Order: sequence, then structure tokens, then C-alpha cells
Amino acid sequence: MFYREAGQYKTNYAADMAVFPLRQDRIGIAVILAIAFIGIPLLGNDFFIASVMIPFLVFSLAAIGLNILTGYTGLISLGTAAFMGVGAYSCYKLTTFFPGVNIIVLILVSGLFSAAIGVLFGLPSLRIKGFYLAVATLAAQFFLQWAFVRIPWLFNYNASGAIEVPQRTLFGLPITGASATPETRYFVCLGLVVVLTWFASNIVHGKLGRSWMAVRDMDIAAELMGIKLLNAKLTAFAVSSYFAGVAGAMMIFLWYGGGEANDVFTIRLSFTILFMVIIGGLGSLIGSFFGAAFLSALPTALKFGLPALGVPIGGAAAEHVTFMLVGALIIIFLIVEPHGLARLWQIGKQKLRTWPFPY
Amino acid sequence: MNAHSMAVAGAPVTHKGEVLLSVESISLRFGGVKAITDVSFDIRKGEVRAIIGPNGAGKTSMLNCINGFYHPQEGRITYKGVRRDKMRPHRAAAAGIARTFQNVALFKGMSTLDNIMTGRTLKMRKGFFWQALRHGPAMNEEIEHRKVVEDIIDFLQIQHIRKLPVGKLPYGLQKRVELGRALAMEPELLLLDEPMAGMNLEEKEDMCRFILDVNNQFGTTIALIEHDMGVVMDLSDRVVVLEYGRKIADGTPAEVKADQRVIDAYLGVAH
Repeated sequence: MFYREAGQYKTNYAADMAVFPLRQDRIGIAVILAIAFIGIPLLGNDFFIASVMIPFLVFSLAAIGLNILTGYTGLISLGTAAFMGVGAYSCYKLTTFFPGVNIIVLILVSGLFSAAIGVLFGLPSLRIKGFYLAVATLAAQFFLQWAFVRIPWLFNYNASGAIEVPQRTLFGLPITGASATPETRYFVCLGLVVVLTWFASNIVHGKLGRSWMAVRDMDIAAELMGIKLLNAKLTAFAVSSYFAGVAGAMMIFLWYGGGEANDVFTIRLSFTILFMVIIGGLGSLIGSFFGAAFLSALPTALKFGLPALGVPIGGAAAEHVTFMLVGALIIIFLIVEPHGLARLWQIGKQKLRTWPFPY
Repeated sequence: MNAHSMAVAGAPVTHKGEVLLSVESISLRFGGVKAITDVSFDIRKGEVRAIIGPNGAGKTSMLNCINGFYHPQEGRITYKGVRRDKMRPHRAAAAGIARTFQNVALFKGMSTLDNIMTGRTLKMRKGFFWQALRHGPAMNEEIEHRKVVEDIIDFLQIQHIRKLPVGKLPYGLQKRVELGRALAMEPELLLLDEPMAGMNLEEKEDMCRFILDVNNQFGTTIALIEHDMGVVMDLSDRVVVLEYGRKIADGTPAEVKADQRVIDAYLGVAH
């Protein structure tokens, strides 16, 4: 009754082509941003921000990256964790070489290295498709993970073999390192995710996004429209890996505060992000957020939320219950809607638009 | 052609414009299978050229050669005076050759609008960074092309399905969207592979009207493959007939209709 386009007339193409053409949607996104920027820092405790919100943001960005590749361009990749690792290790090397440069700039620049590596490992996609490409990207996963551990230059010949995050400040406020508060780290993550999501949304709504979807849906016809398959697939790999790389740098510098490739950037992480994309919804940016929330925030929330709510179970039991609940929910969602949570969201909005008189 | 068919046609063949595309004795083989053998014909500027023939005659292979999906082993294809028988499909698109497919080849997950907008890809020039901002020059460019696309949507009378994903549209409308997508490229040569296959009479009439309008209003040269003889005879200026990969007739519809070899090919002969 309140959510519909009645009375909202588009008088120019710019208004009609807006990402959120409905006024209610624009209000909704403003409310979400207000909650994210004001509500959560005010109301959430340190634990909630550090263990639920920051991982959620990092995974959302990585899922957006993979969604660009798999959802929008139709290329399956199992190398996401490796590309995230490239971002993290480049960021570490950059902080070593340029200690004076702001860490946010370095995090953004480190994505470029990841993009370059992504393009390199994306080259086989010109010849192979589907499951075979997935296997080819596994090569990236194994090779890069090996390189992270075996090339000591990458971790500055540390005895621990891990990235050690130095303290860096913004306007005198520490944002990385041990003394950075969860709130500041959260704000940096949130800022990066919001800006990069905005870029991603612009790209997928423009010429490049249409070329990617054309290649995904019918590559022969796409070629006939003058789209070069080489360019379309490699730009998809580049943009996707850029997002993954930035997410990886954020993961180590703003979330973990240090870490080693064999613990973090494993194939398990690659699969987790692929599942986020599939469960969230292929070819949908909002789906990436749903997927990340579902697979990263929900388990943490359940694990610690159940005992906190007074449900009388211990920590270990809560963890088991979480696994069972999340597993069951994955199956239920995939049966109810194989196209992911994003489609459920869309159907819900459509229902709302005609409610209460659906005919 | 031979004297026999000339006599039936009555009037001399009237040629429109200069030669836009000429195919000279091309042969295409897939291993031992000969899809096309020594076929030559030309397409003149502004005409509607039909390619007909029984199933498996090599008609679609011929279109695939023209827009670069297949590269014939022998012979040459000249388009606008430039030899281009080894060209890639996206180069053909840049040269002004658009195409629709026998089995609709739309981008199923995208809306009608986005499908037709994809046809404008080659005309859009703004770089990656402007696209990422989606403001200023990139947005102006999008709006400018959106206007062209809206004109095409009006022309094809598909305003009501503008924002619907094309995968869910009925077949006749999908064919129409595909024509729109090809038109968005503002082609000089439009290749239509069975534009009316599987349509009912009303849809066929609509499609015929669109094809003639495209030809008349935009001056687009059209080469079409079609099995409905009534449509072919009414629409086309000249017809080339293929059978088993060889050309058996070439001329005006009236000439071709009267050609004994064409009649034999379609109706069969007593052996």
C-alpha cells in the first residue's frame, strides 16, 4: 500500500535510468546507510562491530567481486581467496615501501596488483568455459597460496611467516594495528565498501555491465554486437579481482590485524565466497550482501546470540547448533528459490507493490 | 539466368544501387562435409535479397561466412570494396553488418531495453572511469543512446515490454526484440535468418511490415533467409536459390519461381 510507483512520473531518461527509480527505495537505502553509519556505532558493542559487522563488510566486498565475474559475466572462479591474498600481500609490501602514504590509499592501490594477477589467470577463460574454467582457476588458488608461503620476500622475511600489520593513522586516529578501535576500523571498512559498491553498481548498469551480461547470456550474439570477448572477459577478471584484492587487504589490515596465507587465503575461503554468491543471488549486488550476511554474520550471531538470549546451551553446543541451523537454512533457501535470496527479495517487493489487491 | 526464365519474367531485371557485398566462388567445408561449393552472388545497396533453398542447402552457413563466424576455405567476400573473408564477427559488426538468428539469440537475463542498448555498444565511447562514476559525460552518452533506443522501441511497437526480461516474452515478441537489437547498430547490411519462422499469420504480417519499413525508411540493405515462399516473393527484389551448397538460380522472384531447377529442388523430380 505504501510501496508502489503510483504518482511518481518520470519526465526524463535520467530519472528513469536511476538505480533506485522508486522513491520508497531511495528512502530505504538512506535509512540503511543511516543505521550503518550512525546506529550501529552508537548502539553496537565492540564485540558486535569487530566480529559481526567487519567480517560482514569484508565478505560483502569479496562477494561483489566474485559476483561480477560469476554472476554478471558467467565465468566460474575458485581462485577468489588467492586474489584476496594478492591484495593483502601487495598491501603489506606497499606499507613497507611507502610508510608515509595513507593506508586507505594503499589498500585501494593493492587491488590493482590483484587485478593484474586476475587478468593473467583469466586468460584461459577465452578458450574454456564452465567447470573446466573453475578447475583452471584452481591453479591460481594453489600456485598463489604456495607463493605466499614459499617466497619470503612477500612477508618481509618474518620469522613467523605472516603479515604483521603496522600501525597507521588517519588524522591522528589509529586505523590499523593493535591500538585501532573496532569503531574506527568499522568506519574505514564501511566507507570503502559503500564507495566501491557504488562504483560496482554504476559499472554493471552501464555499457561494460551490459557487455558482461551479453557475454554471459549469449556469447555468439555478443560478438556480433561488436563486443570483443577477450576484452569483456578480461575486464571482468580485472574488476572482479580488484574487488577481491581490496577485500583481502581489508581482511588482514582491518579485521584480522595480521595473518598467514595458509590460515586465511585457503580454498575453503574461495568456496565460502562462491556459496555466498550462489545463495545470495547470481548477478545481483544486493544478493552479495545477503549472501555475506547469511554465511558470515548469521553463524556468528547464532553462536554468540543464542547463549546471550538466555537459551541454555554452552559455547560448544551453540557452535554445533549453528552449523546445523545454517546448513538446514541453505537447503531450504535453495529449494524455495534456486535463484538466491536476491530473487526472494525481488518477489517480496513485487508482492508488496500490489498488496493488498493483487489482481 | 537462362532464356527460359527471362521470357517468363517479362521485364528486364532492375538493379538498385551499386554492389554492397559480393561473394565470389566461395567454398566452405567442415572436414569432409561440403557446406557450400563454389557459390557467387552479390547484394546491391538498398535491396531486399532473399536466400532460399531446402533444408541443409547451406543458407545459414552462407550468412555465417558473411559475418565472419566461418571462414570459407576458397573464394573471396568483398564488402564495400574491401576484401574481408577472414574477418572476425566483431569486425564485421564494426563494418556495419548486423544479424538476427534462426533460433532467437537474445540475452535472456536482460530486459528488452538493455538488449537493444547492447546494440549501441560500438557507438558508445566513454571510458571505464566515466562509466564507474555514471555521471557527466557517461550519463549524457547513456541518455543520448537511450533516445535512439526509444525510437526503435516505438518503431517496433514494443513499448509495453520495455522493462521485462526477454526470456519470459512470447516467441513473436522475442523475434521483434532481436530485430530491434540489430537495428540499434544502425547497420548498412542487415542479415535476417528466418525472421518469420514459427510465427502465426498476424505476426508474419507485422514482421513483413517492419522489414519493408526498415528497407524504405532507413535505406538498409537486407539479406534474408525465409521458407515462406509467399513472403519471399512479396518482399524481395532478388532471390538466390541454394541446393546442397550450390547455387541453382539467381534472379527476380518471378524468374526464380519459373526456373525448372528450382521447381525440381522444391518438389522433387521423377528419376
